[in-house]
Amino acid sequence: MSRSPHYAASFLYEKPGPRGRRNILIGSVISALVLAAIVGLGLWQFGSHGQLDADKWLPFTEWAIWQYLFVGLGGTLLAAAIVAVLGSLFGAVLALGRLSRLRVLRWLSTGYIEVARTVPVLLLIYLMLFGLPQLGINFPTLWKLVIPLTIANAAVFAEIVRAGILSLPAGQSEAALSLGLRGGQAMRLVVLPQALRNVTPSLVSQLVSLLKDTSLGYIVAYTELLYRGQVLSAFNHLLIQTFLVVTLIYLVFNGSLSALASRLQRPGRRRAPIAVPLPVPGASVPHTEKETHA
Amino acid sequence: MNILSENLGLLLQALGTTVMMTVVAGIGSLILGVLVTVARVSPIPILRAAAFCYVQFFINVPLLALLLLAVFALPDAGLIMPLTPTAIIVLTVYEAAYVAEAVRSGVNTVAVGQVEAGRALGLSLGQSMRLVVIPQALRAVVQPLGNVMIALAMNTALAAVVGVVELTSRVNKVNLVYAQPIEIFTAAGLVYMAIALAIGLAAGRVERKVAIVR
Amino acid sequence: MSVSTSMRRKLPVAGAVLAAVALTLTACSSGSGSVPGETSGSGSTDAATSSLFDGAPVADDTLILPDSTMAKIKERGKLIVGEALDAPLLSQQDPANPENVTGFDAALAKLLAIYILGKPNVEIVPPASETREALLANGTVDVVFNTYTITEERAKQISFAGPYFSSGLAVAVKADNTDIKGIDDLGGKTVIVGANTPAVTEVPKQQPTAKLVDFATDPQAVQALLQGRGDAYVQDYTLLASDAAANDKLKVVGQPFTKEPYGIGLKHGDDDFKEFINTWLTTIQDKGQWGQAWKTTLGTVVDSEIPTPPAIGSVPGS
Repeated sequence: MSRSPHYAASFLYEKPGPRGRRNILIGSVISALVLAAIVGLGLWQFGSHGQLDADKWLPFTEWAIWQYLFVGLGGTLLAAAIVAVLGSLFGAVLALGRLSRLRVLRWLSTGYIEVARTVPVLLLIYLMLFGLPQLGINFPTLWKLVIPLTIANAAVFAEIVRAGILSLPAGQSEAALSLGLRGGQAMRLVVLPQALRNVTPSLVSQLVSLLKDTSLGYIVAYTELLYRGQVLSAFNHLLIQTFLVVTLIYLVFNGSLSALASRLQRPGRRRAPIAVPLPVPGASVPHTEKETHA
Repeated sequence: MNILSENLGLLLQALGTTVMMTVVAGIGSLILGVLVTVARVSPIPILRAAAFCYVQFFINVPLLALLLLAVFALPDAGLIMPLTPTAIIVLTVYEAAYVAEAVRSGVNTVAVGQVEAGRALGLSLGQSMRLVVIPQALRAVVQPLGNVMIALAMNTALAAVVGVVELTSRVNKVNLVYAQPIEIFTAAGLVYMAIALAIGLAAGRVERKVAIVR
Repeated sequence: MSVSTSMRRKLPVAGAVLAAVALTLTACSSGSGSVPGETSGSGSTDAATSSLFDGAPVADDTLILPDSTMAKIKERGKLIVGEALDAPLLSQQDPANPENVTGFDAALAKLLAIYILGKPNVEIVPPASETREALLANGTVDVVFNTYTITEERAKQISFAGPYFSSGLAVAVKADNTDIKGIDDLGGKTVIVGANTPAVTEVPKQQPTAKLVDFATDPQAVQALLQGRGDAYVQDYTLLASDAAANDKLKVVGQPFTKEPYGIGLKHGDDDFKEFINTWLTTIQDKGQWGQAWKTTLGTVVDSEIPTPPAIGSVPGS
């Protein structure tokens, strides 16, 4: 996660000698052939079923089709933006709660985080779709997607922020306190800004993850990219083409975000941001690495 | 309670499907993920690039889009399998990308001296990967891998959308009959929490067992 | 694709252009290029709908009771309808022109909007078949036009106006299947059904040995049938007829084996609104808009005269 692939690989072997170079060359040729064979086989399979025919792809040269999908992408981005803002705010509050000196706050925050991280978002969406109407509570479609996603993502944001805070040397807050800052001030002025800067890459990765989660809008019939793809494919009967195009749009968009995340992570900045540890629910052992996840 | 007892058989069957999907896709993604990591840190540029693309693809595309593509679209190209195996394969290749990310960060924690010592002993690259680097890398990432496995267990719920009758799908059907969503979905949520807890505890146990005290 | 909406409505030539567009878009892999559902369906629907809506009845102000749902809709200036976007000839969105949603349900929804508002101002909220009750219960939509069969079970959660159309469950198979000729041949077979549709309970009643697989949407179910994930697909006859018209790899076999009266879903207990809608239904049935809407949509694929609409309130639950 934290270094470019080349960097990660470089310490595993020395600069190859003549024999090494020959072996690498042979390996390259073999793997190129194998990869080409896999791609070729896939293309052949598609081609033999007529999936590469021009008339199956030509509709996607129409601007109107892209416009239709981009409206969906707009819906995806809107939902993702709202979840990002609400989730990170709520997450920061939860993180502070979990680190609080008040036992009640600590328990409540910890309990929330553990529960929200271990229930499928789909289940939360169903609960929202079917459960709340029974209680007479009603939200617009957008919020039926946004609220469950916020509930789930806030817990992850909380863990990221908490990890950032814990990663700071205790000296930072001690120094702030010795300067006469009160606890809240030290947190706000000294600890949080540094903690957030340290975990920026993880926060961006989480953005990618929640942007992917908005595809669940498909289930609540919220106008987002995947849902528009579904309606489009029902209209044109070009399922492979439509879903591949939708996949490509996600890839380009999220890929840019991910690239941004790894740029932020590259060493050489004033102080390389750290990788954030996320504990496994139920495990109490201290840990070393992190994984944020959809 | 009435609902539970009347549907116990079907619910247990669905829970079995969820657990089975988690276990099979879990093992599959661990193996595939390690292989992708090996490719990613190999000295062969084209393998590194391929592994990089693999990881980037699956980290940036929603699982639900992949499931719809695999279940409803790919059969048009003659690629068809029963629903549950299709869902398991998609889950496996998807989570493998996350496993690969986790293991790679573990590779980075292996001290350079370890590899150099291996080389000094005359180990080839393959040997030093297999005997020195990967075992240590895996130990360092038990917790992150535990998180990936928990995410996998949660993600099996998405198979409900493409017609696999696993736990979420089954409780949704039960709810359509009994119309008691809050009780039914909350109960299902507790079951998922239990699964996550089990994975978490297992990860904790494994980590205590394999942890390297430095 | 550059045909403007107004041209499309008025000129016959525009229909041909649209047909060509639909052909490009639909392009069946069989390469036969015959897509009768989409071409004749959407083309003629468009031409006909303008005249359909031109003379459509508008309710007297006296019918819009103060503080009623109708009054609220009128104040809002639009009718919010739960209807599909992916059901050919019933309610299908044209991705090249997303404002254009056509079909029988869509036409009726617009007619109801005209009746209340004087203009066909409709906002569509697409429901999955599992969420319709929830959408009505929590007030997300005013009405549901969604091949929504009136059942006593459902009538406990919501109210139904109508019935406005009478259909039935039928069996569809792949075009090359010659074994299955109707519901009687489904014993021991794998049968695809739509989640939360009447078929879920009806098929086991008639064929206890059939194995059911359900999918959330009609396009998914059609796709599953064509891929061989089941031997047959049991669904509402009109929906199947539209699917078969849009896709020649699918055919409907036998006659409908149940009676499925479609209702207009409303919030539970909203009796004023129900009576209002029933009055509207009678009006458009008397004045011919109902028949015209049928003829230009479902009538293009169902081989019969304009059917007699079912009597309002004739079904338990309505």
